[in-house]
Amino acid sequence: MTVVADRRTVGATPTGRRWRSRLTGLSWSSLLYVAPALVFFAVFVIYPICVTVQTSFYNYDGLTVATPAGLSNYLNVFADPTLRAALGHSLLLLVFYAALPVVIGLILAGAMSRIRIYGLTVFRALLFLPQILASVVVAVAWRGLLASDGPINWVLEHVGLGSIATSWLGNFDTALPSIGLIGTWVEYGLCMVLFLAGIVTIDRSLYEAARLDGAGPVREFFAITLPALRPQISIALILTITFALRNFDLIWNTTRGGPGTSTTVPSLYVYLDAFQNRQLGQASALAVVLTVVILIVVALVQLAVRGRSGEPRTTRTKRSAR
Amino acid sequence: MRKPSHIRKTAILVGAVATAIALSSCAAPGSGSSQASTASATIDSTVSVSDVAKLGKTTLKMWADQAEQPLMKLVVPAFEKKYPNVTVDITYKSFDDLVSTVVNAAASANAPDVFQGNIGYAVDGALVKAKLVRSLDDVADVYGWNSGTGASTLEPARWNASGTTFGSGTLYGMSPISEVQGIYYNKAKLDSLGLAAPTTTAELEKDLPIAKKAGDQPIMLGNSDQYAGTHIFSDIAVTEQKPADIRDWIGGKKGATFETKGNEAAADTMKEWASAGYFGSGYDGLSNQDAIAKFAGGDGVFFVGGSWNGASLTAGEFGFASLTSGGVGATASPWHISSKTTKTAAAVAWLDTLHSPVVGQEILDTGRLPVITDDVSSKDPLQEQTLTALKDTIAAGTQVGYYDWTTTDMLSIMGGGLQEVMAGRTTSADFTKTVQAAWAKGHQ
Repeated sequence: MTVVADRRTVGATPTGRRWRSRLTGLSWSSLLYVAPALVFFAVFVIYPICVTVQTSFYNYDGLTVATPAGLSNYLNVFADPTLRAALGHSLLLLVFYAALPVVIGLILAGAMSRIRIYGLTVFRALLFLPQILASVVVAVAWRGLLASDGPINWVLEHVGLGSIATSWLGNFDTALPSIGLIGTWVEYGLCMVLFLAGIVTIDRSLYEAARLDGAGPVREFFAITLPALRPQISIALILTITFALRNFDLIWNTTRGGPGTSTTVPSLYVYLDAFQNRQLGQASALAVVLTVVILIVVALVQLAVRGRSGEPRTTRTKRSAR
Repeated sequence: MRKPSHIRKTAILVGAVATAIALSSCAAPGSGSSQASTASATIDSTVSVSDVAKLGKTTLKMWADQAEQPLMKLVVPAFEKKYPNVTVDITYKSFDDLVSTVVNAAASANAPDVFQGNIGYAVDGALVKAKLVRSLDDVADVYGWNSGTGASTLEPARWNASGTTFGSGTLYGMSPISEVQGIYYNKAKLDSLGLAAPTTTAELEKDLPIAKKAGDQPIMLGNSDQYAGTHIFSDIAVTEQKPADIRDWIGGKKGATFETKGNEAAADTMKEWASAGYFGSGYDGLSNQDAIAKFAGGDGVFFVGGSWNGASLTAGEFGFASLTSGGVGATASPWHISSKTTKTAAAVAWLDTLHSPVVGQEILDTGRLPVITDDVSSKDPLQEQTLTALKDTIAAGTQVGYYDWTTTDMLSIMGGGLQEVMAGRTTSADFTKTVQAAWAKGHQ
């Protein structure tokens, strides 16, 4: 992401364009402008990535000299049944961390843009709040809410649903969906704000035209708002999917992967291997695989969302021209 | 025009990344780090004030657990008074922080002279294997640590040369603080139930249905961190088999096994207690911290824990019973001397100070249990009970240590496995088999 953004800045600088034409395509002066950021990026992002990739081919405890491991760390990743189970949990979490927030965000944004609400800014800020809270705070708060004698069960008991009250995070069947719902709560605000920003830029005359043609609010939403929001949906999905697949802190601070292994995810094992088991090679291999999986899933979703013909691209150009 | 430039930049980027990879793969990770030599001189007599004074004005850098801070406030000024040329500079870390960072700190060029590790493979094993800590055999000989009270508490800090088994061998650390597992009870509730404090797990087992019948939650348990369950399990398991066998298994002794009748019976008991509702419902969703808070607030009749929980409970309302036949204890995080230190005399003087009856009393005064129990006593009845329990377990030889010391991943394997057993999702035989498989993998 950052690389793309940097490159676009380079291209957009007027000076850069002048220099580039003279030096057959390379804009040295603009490279100079981005040099501080580039150095920072290289030292704190590129270099660690390289070291991670390198370490993944060794047996390394972080102290004594590493011994080459060939591909064995990678083979372990694919052979270990506990890791496969963890990956399965991650895929279920995708529904809660990515799909649900986008749907809820769309509904809220659609409603907020249509209905004139007094104090809209306040509501927007409140709904965005989960996104800015530290995840440890979120985890601790939800641990209390979901406890067997917590407020959620209290409400259930008082509306006559006491039979379904349970220790949500301590029950093998409900722990994973419960963590998923915490993720939904954290992410929908971000989606909503992204979509609201997108809706503002939609040409109002389109809505007028639709209304003249007799379209109702639902038709309007599906015919105009939804297609126009495609770039925002795509961004929202990138962010939420990445969050879902690399999520660690929420799980560590609520269940630590338990009860049993019912809420384990790959990133949990990255942490355990690196900081508890001192198998840095194994942890690195898993981290590399996880990164590749995230890239593939995001790419697939991008293809699906942007997919059809030139239509979405036009929308995109319009957005970036803003 | 645009396209070539684009391609070119991509090429540059790819080239840069490739170079970086090539550069970083020049040497195997870790080959650049300095391998500490155990060159620091051995001592053949006790360190005197003048020995330490020879170091000149110096600072002894240390890393310690946050929990030691109240004790250190008493010990450090006295130490600095006795050795006026030494300034003690302690960096405090929370326990979780300490165990996850101290090994790297010890390996760094700027390593602390003295620091606390943690018994087991994850921390102490790594320190020994990488030769980051100095052997303390000479110190133990000179100061007579190998006899008298506390001698047996040194065992978990003894390692073989390759750092693969512990429990005997070379001494690498010393902990002045001990811990004992047992059971806390709510005095008022026991009285109203007409029960006496249980002193064995068998007695406890008889009390549980009575408490349950009276509408109380018999045992308060918070097991979301997965370790509280293993403590209860070990209290039961140690009554079902010889403590020495458990100690061997934890120490990684060849041929030891977890697949014993005793461990299966203990797992079955856990399952029975769980399905009978003795732990209440939702214990897997409650953290141990929250559970002790609820127990302190009057929920539950019993709390299976250890001396480290005592600080949360008031002496008037709660009592501590040693489940003597099943009480399990261990030593807390041991202190180590860095193999890189140039201030051996001062570091040894520090360990000698910690391993003294004076500091033993101070340890008790600050709410913990000392290894040196001679002539120490407490006015706080709960603490006195806990101290008695400690002496009992040491006498009974049930200071076997904690199961999760045995491999780096045992806490999650055994803790998670027990959760499955208690929920009736696996059998106790499958549980012991899984645990043994993880142990075998860690000790191959």
